[in-house]
Amino acid sequence: MTNTWYFYLFFAAALVFAGILGLLLRRNLIKLFIAIEVIAKGISLLLLGTGFAKDNILVAQTLVVTFIVVEVSLVATALALIINIYRQTKSLDVRKLARLKG
Amino acid sequence: MIVQTALLIGLVLFSVLAILLRDLLKSAISLAAASLLLGIIFFRMNAPYAGVFEISVVAGLITVLFILTIALTKAGDEVRESRAVNWVFPLFFIVFIIIDALVMKGLLRKIPALASGAETGTFGDVLWKGRTFDLVGQIAVILAGVFAVLALFRKRDKHD
Repeated sequence: MTNTWYFYLFFAAALVFAGILGLLLRRNLIKLFIAIEVIAKGISLLLLGTGFAKDNILVAQTLVVTFIVVEVSLVATALALIINIYRQTKSLDVRKLARLKG
Repeated sequence: MIVQTALLIGLVLFSVLAILLRDLLKSAISLAAASLLLGIIFFRMNAPYAGVFEISVVAGLITVLFILTIALTKAGDEVRESRAVNWVFPLFFIVFIIIDALVMKGLLRKIPALASGAETGTFGDVLWKGRTFDLVGQIAVILAGVFAVLALFRKRDKHD
């Protein structure tokens, strides 16, 4: 069991780290959100990988389905926020948000 | 196992490309390709429902939402990214992959597997009977998302 689990854990950790690096290094709001999506992919891979390794694939599947529903809701809200921010500042630069007053 | 490894490497590569590419549209398409590969990986892990959700919702719907947002914000200025990204990202990522591989190799067989009971029934049984409260949470989250989007796009009153 453990060998399979470490195999998926390795790739999931790589995805989560890539996403965190993207969050730290990028300045475009949409890019930042793409980085969050990459982290989400790593989490769903880890959830299903754990279920697969422990022979609990049905529970893992239900958790992944729930996670995807939450992800869609998050994406819709965040992209609506990004569009609103763009309308206000005419830019997608995350640094300009720090200069907002009031 | 070889096919699964190739698919997982493809998933990581497309995800890294989605972060590294300068063009937003290419990034979104890269992310969709990564989702597609993840969906195929789910299918190969005997999780068809998760695979279908991943491909239809994440690779389909979320990509459409991303492309729509990119189209709506296209006229804006190009955000100047730090030049350091081009070499800092690959450098740190390769260092992490090496550390990751060494740690996983070191941990192999050292942590015992947690006990887990055998699963019975079908996916429907587990979802509708075992995880009923999750469904209530899902409905709440979807409603919260809908109301949030409605609130963000509401028309302004005359007083505003």
